[in-house]
Order: sequence, then structure tokens, then C-alpha cells
Amino acid sequence: MNVRVTVERRLQQPRWLAVVVPFASLFVALCIAGLVLVATGHNPLSSYRRLFDAAFLSNGALDQTLIAATPLAFTGLAAAAAFRMRIFNIGAEGQLYMGAIVGSAAGFWLGGRGGASPFVIAAMIVAGALGGAAWASIPGVFRAFFGTSEILTSLMLNYVAGYILTYLIFQSESYWRQTKGFNATVFPTGKPLPSNAEWPAWTLHTQGGVALPLGAGVIVLAAAVLWVLYRRTRFGFEVQVLGDSEGAARYSGVRTRRKILAVMAISGAVAGIGGASQVGDFAHSLDGDPNGLQKQSYGYSGIVVAALARYNPFAVLLVAFLIGGLDSAGNALQGADFPSGLVGVIQGIILFTTLGGELLVRHRVRLVRRPETVTA
Amino acid sequence: MATITLKGVTKRFPGVVANNDVDFEATAGEVHALLGENGAGKSTLSHIMSGLYRPDEGEIRLDGVPQVFHSPRDAIDAGVCMVHQHFRLVDRFTVAENLILGDRRGVGRKFQLDPGAVVEQVRTLGERYRLPVDPRARIWQLSVGERQRVEILKALYEEAKVLILDEPTAVLTPDEADTLFETLREIVAEGRTVIFISHKLNEVKAVSDRVTVMRAGRVVATVPTKDATPQSLASLMVGRELDVTKRRRSGVPEGGAVLEVQDVWAPSYRATTSLKGAEFTVNGGEIVAVAGVAGNGQRELAEAIAGLRPRTRGTVRIGGRAVRNGDPRHAYRAGLGYVPEDRLGTGVAPNLSLSMNVELKSHRDGTLGPFLRMARMRERAEAAIETYEVKAPGPHAEAATLSGGNIQKIVLAREFAGNLKALIAASPTRGLDVSAVDTVQRHIAEAADRGVAVLLISEDLDEILALADRVLVMYEGRLTPVERRDDVNRIGVLMAGGDVDDSPANTAT
Amino acid sequence: MNNSLLVVLIASGIAYGTPLLYGALGELLAERSGVLNLGVEGMMLVGAVMGFWAEQRVHAGAALTLIIAVLAAAFAGMVMSAIHAFLVITLRASQIVSGLALTIFAGAAGLSSYLGSDLNLADVPANHSFHAIFPSSMQSWPIVGPIIFGQDPLVYASWVLVAAIAYYLTRTRPGLNVRAVGEAPGAADAMGINVVKYRYLHVLAGGALAGVAGSTFTLAITPQWVSGITGGAGWIAIALVIFAFWRPELCLVGAYFFGALQALAPELQARNINLGPTELWTNTIPYVATVIVLVLVSWRGARRRLGAPAALGVPYVREEA
Repeated sequence: MNVRVTVERRLQQPRWLAVVVPFASLFVALCIAGLVLVATGHNPLSSYRRLFDAAFLSNGALDQTLIAATPLAFTGLAAAAAFRMRIFNIGAEGQLYMGAIVGSAAGFWLGGRGGASPFVIAAMIVAGALGGAAWASIPGVFRAFFGTSEILTSLMLNYVAGYILTYLIFQSESYWRQTKGFNATVFPTGKPLPSNAEWPAWTLHTQGGVALPLGAGVIVLAAAVLWVLYRRTRFGFEVQVLGDSEGAARYSGVRTRRKILAVMAISGAVAGIGGASQVGDFAHSLDGDPNGLQKQSYGYSGIVVAALARYNPFAVLLVAFLIGGLDSAGNALQGADFPSGLVGVIQGIILFTTLGGELLVRHRVRLVRRPETVTA
Repeated sequence: MATITLKGVTKRFPGVVANNDVDFEATAGEVHALLGENGAGKSTLSHIMSGLYRPDEGEIRLDGVPQVFHSPRDAIDAGVCMVHQHFRLVDRFTVAENLILGDRRGVGRKFQLDPGAVVEQVRTLGERYRLPVDPRARIWQLSVGERQRVEILKALYEEAKVLILDEPTAVLTPDEADTLFETLREIVAEGRTVIFISHKLNEVKAVSDRVTVMRAGRVVATVPTKDATPQSLASLMVGRELDVTKRRRSGVPEGGAVLEVQDVWAPSYRATTSLKGAEFTVNGGEIVAVAGVAGNGQRELAEAIAGLRPRTRGTVRIGGRAVRNGDPRHAYRAGLGYVPEDRLGTGVAPNLSLSMNVELKSHRDGTLGPFLRMARMRERAEAAIETYEVKAPGPHAEAATLSGGNIQKIVLAREFAGNLKALIAASPTRGLDVSAVDTVQRHIAEAADRGVAVLLISEDLDEILALADRVLVMYEGRLTPVERRDDVNRIGVLMAGGDVDDSPANTAT
Repeated sequence: MNNSLLVVLIASGIAYGTPLLYGALGELLAERSGVLNLGVEGMMLVGAVMGFWAEQRVHAGAALTLIIAVLAAAFAGMVMSAIHAFLVITLRASQIVSGLALTIFAGAAGLSSYLGSDLNLADVPANHSFHAIFPSSMQSWPIVGPIIFGQDPLVYASWVLVAAIAYYLTRTRPGLNVRAVGEAPGAADAMGINVVKYRYLHVLAGGALAGVAGSTFTLAITPQWVSGITGGAGWIAIALVIFAFWRPELCLVGAYFFGALQALAPELQARNINLGPTELWTNTIPYVATVIVLVLVSWRGARRRLGAPAALGVPYVREEA
């Protein structure tokens, strides 16, 4: 007897699988990452225990987790908005920087003129969205009008945006740079945001008190808007058709170029608001340090978040919270026995197991026994 | 030299028994036709013989020796080669490179390549079997007929003892088909075996020595060709009397001009031919067929009318209203339906639900601002499933999980909904099983009877003869009308590009 | 003369271009078999860190140590590519997402950084590194001295590799087979060519070359380990394959062009040449140039004519039941 493994496409995908498989993927990923830890001489159980404590339980941990989760939710939603339509915008990183640059400019300019705080903040959100959308439109235009794959172009622009960010603070006397005071001549920094341009936070009085930043509220709203846009509108219908089959889209009269451009711009806008939130919610100045904001690589982690959430906007929020916890715990614990990069390793493994798990959702894997030969 | 014998072969697929206890034998020196309707199990059987499928039960013998084929390669090594409908050639390679690809005997065995070494061999084989091809030409430069020659040459180069051809004439003009038949006679004259798969009675009569007829996965009979008549074969094949008249024909159609195409030119993006000055009118209630070998501009014609391909010249009117150039939405609103050739990927969005696919075009009609009408989408999908008897779990099923026939029914349901005035149907029944072919053709005929102007683009002459009121032949981007719709010889001559200039140019009205 | 900007740019363009060349050749092998691997950046970084680790830990003569270090880098890159190969060839996962996952897993914020800090490799001086092997008298010959004779052995090895891969693809039977696998896997399979095996082997070979590419950073260009040392070279290597129309000899030209662009920033700074915001444009020019060239080659859908393997990115499933 000869046993073979066959993989067939499922005719119907059971709903429970779509829920169970991501959790199972997460579990398997933690097991594999545990092996990496063992192989490099760490105890996986105590490492995970400490990670979990540092992410969610210890004093002030939730604050830190929210600080890490908010930008991840923005970049995750940005990636989900594009990837779901099979437009691979890898540029959330750069679009986030551009959102931060343009958003903070709006804050300086309007805040400095003493505008009312809600108005200044709203303007920052819009400006951030525009900055991100404009940066994303560059690869968007190339893809829509010249057929250039957006993967590499959007990625290359991340590096360009990073250098622009650094340039504005470190290599020029720009509008964003702090030029007054003694410190400014020793170590270049961004200039502080006027107080009426700082975003408010609401304190929830649970154990120790948790500050809920405005950005966290904005992203929930953005997720809801995106869900309605993609599932319930003509625009979303046409974009779904385009994402599934370009032939069918053109056949049914979808203006494909506009749709590609629109999806890139929407994705970039979400990442751009994330950049504005970085400045308004947390940093209160533009962070141009190559070892600062740029080291966090929120844009790339956003892809992990989106993939693990299977590109569902609401799931993105939940996953961003979990991955944000992992990130902030990794930062808190970083040291000799908690090497940097471990969090990235775990994220990567989660992505791999999610991809493998996707196979189980879409296909049925069976063992088939068959006779070797039938010789009568 | 070689006899291939199958005994008790059974092959099951999920939900279907494709071959049920099949016994089959083809002996050395004969052309053995395997006849049956689409879906009768001919292709499955040939895939088993050529090593692509493994039988669930039963055995294959070559000259009495039991064989187990784990892959097509095993079958080739044993001497069984198959020429598929979709050619297994590497487009960017030369003919010679394609021949030595995977070669285990000749020059291809060496580590260092020398495609030049087979050039002479290709010439000799080509002359001997009337298969002229330039060995240095790249496949993408060749016509479909030439590509088929390369496939046969490849089999001969591999020293095939048994050559299986799957519907080889589907891509050929009648003239090319005759040449192919002569080639096949030459091949069997040396004691090889040819298995010729077809569902066309006249071809089988013309080329074969014996015929095995299949129906519903079983072998019905094996008879010497000379003892069989087309009628006897047909009744064996179908199991009932063949009803060739698909539709009532009422003389002069009463609808008046509905689809008017005037001097339309359109470019081609591939190696196929661009459209050069198409000019014709289809009246309401009339079916006008465009015959011709694929790649002569049929796709360009359909897309230029539907607004999917910009026209460089000319106008299209539907119901007297000019259709905007390159605007598929405008064509849809003017009342044009289009059943595209490429069902999965153009006709439907494969991974989206049936309810979305049913409203692929109409979702823009009567919406609530920017919002979709979700309830209407579901209801229309349910109605389509019921009216067209689509076998599907429900409106949420993804299109790609349906069979080809059921997908085509969804496409028809969508295109026939709303205010349909003119319909383009491009190869609407290709690759469907018998009952689906029948349903699709019936729906098209009924649409015409309701007064729709139908333009049927098809490579299948039988389909054209069954449905069309008038026939145009397409060759290298130009259309030529045929005076008598059932003048098969004339159609064949025109398909091969013969005496286009002699024919009166403007009789197509 | 040998100090003129042009000669220096060409000479250091070759040095900076060498990791791009190795990376591009590896990606070319994978893509010719039909598999897109966007994980080059990650594989390079793991190769870079493991190559440097081996160089630190092996105590042998300089030449032997460096050879072992390069082999270690190649092996590390290969292991990384095996993950991608398994996911996309066996499990048929999306090649785009899997490649991105590989870069996130192995890249600047992932495994390479983890290994670098866990193995205490940061801020450690190298014991050995690749140097020019010709006598300095030859290196001072005009023009050819710095350009041809001033290079290290990894550069010369890459020249041999370009010729070998070009010969392999166009003149040998396995080369013909792999091209068939990338163009028409169905046809190849029917002729008994093992599609899965060819794809695995070429993805693994590509990973090994990406590992070597990484090691040129830590063993030759800047002999030390810094997290994220490749700075996007892996991505430029992927773009190079497209500019080179999937031909190894053109990869060489493209790699040196981009190498020269990368050499521009340090060279202008060293000469105190300032043209506008010099840091900004010299740092960003390789990335901007990549975007521009990508747009130019995709103009008018020229891809088919220009040599992209027809089955690139498409998982192969034998139609068998």
C-alpha cells in the first residue's frame, strides 16, 4: 500500500476554520520561536512569561503597549487596505514619515498662530493623511499608468523618506528643527509642537490608570470607515473585483487605473495619519534620528499585523494590540539576556505559520491510500 | 509493432466516475478513433494512457506487457506520446530546443547543449511525414497549425509507438485537417498506432480504421469504420436521436437593424491579427455567426464592439445609438451583452461570490448614493440560480468552485438580465459537457427568438450550423460573408484564406 | 589620473556593486525557475552576520578563515531560502507575502539583529578581511590598476560566476531544463523534468548567493557587523534582475552602475564637493534611480518581450487527481 498526501481546494471554507487557524498559527509560531530560544541558550517559558508580564500586566505596561500598538494599527490598516485588493504597498513606513512631516508642519503653522486646539488637531490629521496619500501616489501612478510593480517602488521610497526625515532635523536648518537654545547646537532635535497642537489622551481608571491616546480613537473610526467602504459601497465592489481579476474588472467597466490609484492613496493616507499621530500623540516633535522612529519599523510590522488579521480591518485592531504588546515588552526587556531582534524573529515566524495556516483554510489536506498496482 | 490494451479501467473524480470499467484496444498499423460527446470520458482515458492520470482500477498493457505510468515521462519512455489540445511547448524556445527538452536518448542527454544537432533530423522527419517546420523558429512565432506539427514531430523524435491526438482538428482549417489525416496515414503505415480523439463524425469516417464509441464514461461499442454510418455512430454516441435543429428559423428576421458595425478597425496587442475594417449588421431576432480559426481577430472584434478595446476607426451602433469608443459601461447601458471567451477570469471574478458576479455590471444601477443594495444582490443571485438551474450551494459560493457549465449559466443569467438588445457570444460552449452545451445553445436561441440580435463567434462549425442564420468568416482580421449559411466547403475555403478577393465584398448587410 | 573622480567611482562602484551582483545573480537563478523571492535583504543580512561570526570564531590562516566564513554565509543564506522554498513550492503560499515575511523574519529588526547581539558581534574589529591581491605596483597602473587589479578575490570570483551562470543557462541541459521550468512548468513536467526539484535547487542556490552577497559587506567592504548593514541592497538586487532582463551579464553592468551611485556619497564628502543638499541627494540617489529605471523598463508593458519568465510567481500544481 502506498500512502500519498493530496491537497485539494476546499469547495466551501468552514467559518470556524477562519477563526481557529490564526490562533493555532500563533501557537505554533510561539513553539517554533521557543525552539530558537532554546537553541540560543534561553529558557522559552520564562522568556514568554516575562514578555507577557512586560506587555500587559506590570505597572504602566498597558500605556506602553498602547503607544506601540497605535502606530501598528495605522500601518496594519494601511497594509490591509492595499493587500486585500492585491495591491502590495510596502511603503507604509515612508508614508508614515511623510504623514509625520506634513502633519507636524500643519501643527506648527496653525498651532503657532493660536488656532483652536480641535481645529489644529483636525488639520494635522488631514495634513498627515494628505502627506501619506501623496507619497503613496508616486508608486500608485507608476503602477496605474506604466504597469510598474508597486512592490519595489513603494519600498525604495521608504529609504528616500527616511533620508528626508533625517535631513530635515540633522542636515539642514529646516522649519521642523529646533534652532534656538544651547542644546540645539550640541545635538540636533525637532522643535516642540505648540501646546494647542498636542493631541489629548483620556485616562481610563482601571488598575493604575491607562492613557488612551486620541490616535487610538481615530484608528477605530478609520477601521469602521474602511470596512463600510470596502464591503458596502460601489467603490468597494469594484475594487474587490479588480483585486480578484483584472480581466473581469475591465470587462465589467471598472476604471482600473483610478481604482489602483485610489487604493494606494487610501492606504497611504491611513499610514500618514499614523505619522501625524506619532507627532501629535506621543513625540510632540519630529523625530529625525535614524535610531529613533526609523528603528521601530512600524511600516514593516504593519504587514505582519495585516497578514495575521487576514486583512480584516477590525481584526487588525486586535492583532495590533497583541503585536504592540510584544513590541513594547521587547523594548522594555532589551538587554543581555533579551537580545534585540527577538521580537522581529517572533513576528517573522508568526507570519510564516500564518501563511502555512492559510493553506489549511483554503485547501483540504488528506492522506490517500491507494494500491500500488492492480495486476489482474 | 505495438498494441495498447486497457482492461477494466476505472477512474473516479470527486462526484463523478469519469471512466467506468473500460476495455479498449488499439493495434499496430491502425488509426483508431475514440468517439464521444464532450464529457463522455475520452480525455480521461487518454490521460490514463499517457500517464497523466493513474487509474483507480484496471491495467494498461503494451504488446501484452503490463505497464505502470507514474508520469507522462514514463509513458513516453514506454513509447506512448500524446498531443494535447493545449500544447505542451515552451513558447520562448526554438523548435529544436523543444525537441531536445527532456530527451533521454539523443543529443539532449549530453550535459552540453547542441540544438543545432537536431536541425537535420527535424528536416528529414518533416519531409517524410509532411510536417514542414523551421527548426530554428521560436514557438511564439508559429501559427497554431505549425505548433501542432511541432508536437507531432516531438512525438516522432521520441520514437513514439503509440500516438494519441486529442481533438487535433479543433484548431485547424479543413485543408490543414486533410493534410494532418495524410500525415497520420503515413505514421501508421510503419506499424505505429494512432489514437484519434474526436466528437466529429465526418472526421472519424475520413481518417480511422476502427472506432470506439464512449458514452457517460463507458465504452459503448468498437466497430470497423467502414461498417459504420454517421447515423449509426451518432446514435451510439448520443444514445438518442440527434436533434440538429436547435431553433426555429422564421425566414427573414423581423427585428430591423439592432447591431450595426461600420468600418471598425482595432489594434492587436499580441501576435494575433488586428481587426481590419469589420462591417456588418445584425437584425433583431437574428443569429449571425463569425467562423474562423482562433487568433484571426475574433477577440479583437468582440472587444472593439464591447468597448474593451479602443477602435482606431469606425462606429458601432446598438438600437440606433452610437456606442462610445472604449467605454464598456456605455455599451452595457446601450443594451449590449457579452459572453466572453475566457470564462474564468473575465466572465466571472473567480474568488468572489455568485451574488457579486451576478451584479458585476448592474451593481451601479439604481444604487443608494455610493452604497450597494445588498439585499437586491442576494435576491438576484438566488433568482439566477433557480431560473438557470445552477448547481451551487447558494449566493455566497465562490464562482471558481462551480463547474464550467454552471459558471457559464451565471454569465448568461447576468448578461440576459435587464434591457438586452444585442449579444456577443464568444465560444460560449467551449469545454462544456453535452448537457451544458445544449442548455447554453438553447438559451442563446431563445434570446434570438425574443428579438435580441446575436453575434456568435465560434470555432465549432457544428455549433454554427446548428444556430446561425447567416455566417461570416474571419481570416487575418477581415470578415467575408458566406452566401449560403450551410455551404460548408465555401466556409472551409474562406477559413484558410482562399480567394478572399474574388468574393463580393459588400454583401454582408 | 587614478585619483580622478571617474576612475575612483568606477573602482569603488565595482566594490560596492559586488554584493548587488551576488544578490542579483542569486535572485536571477530563483526567478528563472519561476520563483520570486523578495527575501533577499533578509537572507543577505543573515549571511552577513553569520559570515562575520565564522570569521571571528575560526582560528586558521587568513585565507582559510575567510573561505570558511564565506561558506558559512552561503549556508546561512541557503537555510533562510529553504523556508521560502517550502512555503511557496510545497505549500503554494503567496510568493510575495512569503518573501516579505522572510525579510521581516531575517532582516534588520529580526533574526540577523538577534544573532548579532546574542553572539556579541557588534563593535568587534575583524581579524581578517578581503584585500586586493595584486602587488601595489600593479594597482598603481593608470586606470586598469585601481579598476581591475585593485579588487579583492570576492570581486574576481563574481566575474567567474557571471560567466558560469550565463554558460549554464544558455548552453547546458540543466540550464535548458530550468528555463523550461520557469517558462512552462506543465510542458517541462510532461517531459519528465522534476519541476519541484529544480525550483527547490535554484531557490536554495539563490539563497546561498544572497548569503555570500551579505558576507561581502562584513568581510570586505566594511569589515565589521552593524545591524542593518546592507541598507536595502537586497531590494536593489531584486530590481537589478528586472533591469537586466533576467540576463546575468547585464546584472554585472547594472550592479556596477548602482555601486557607483552608492560610492557617490562618501566620495563627494571626501572631496568636500557640495551641490545643494548633498547628503540628501547622494544618499537617496540609488533608491530614486532604482525607481526611475523600474518605471522605464516597465513602460508600455514591455515585460514579455524583455525576458520575464512566463511562469514567474505562479505555483505549479500538476493537474493530477
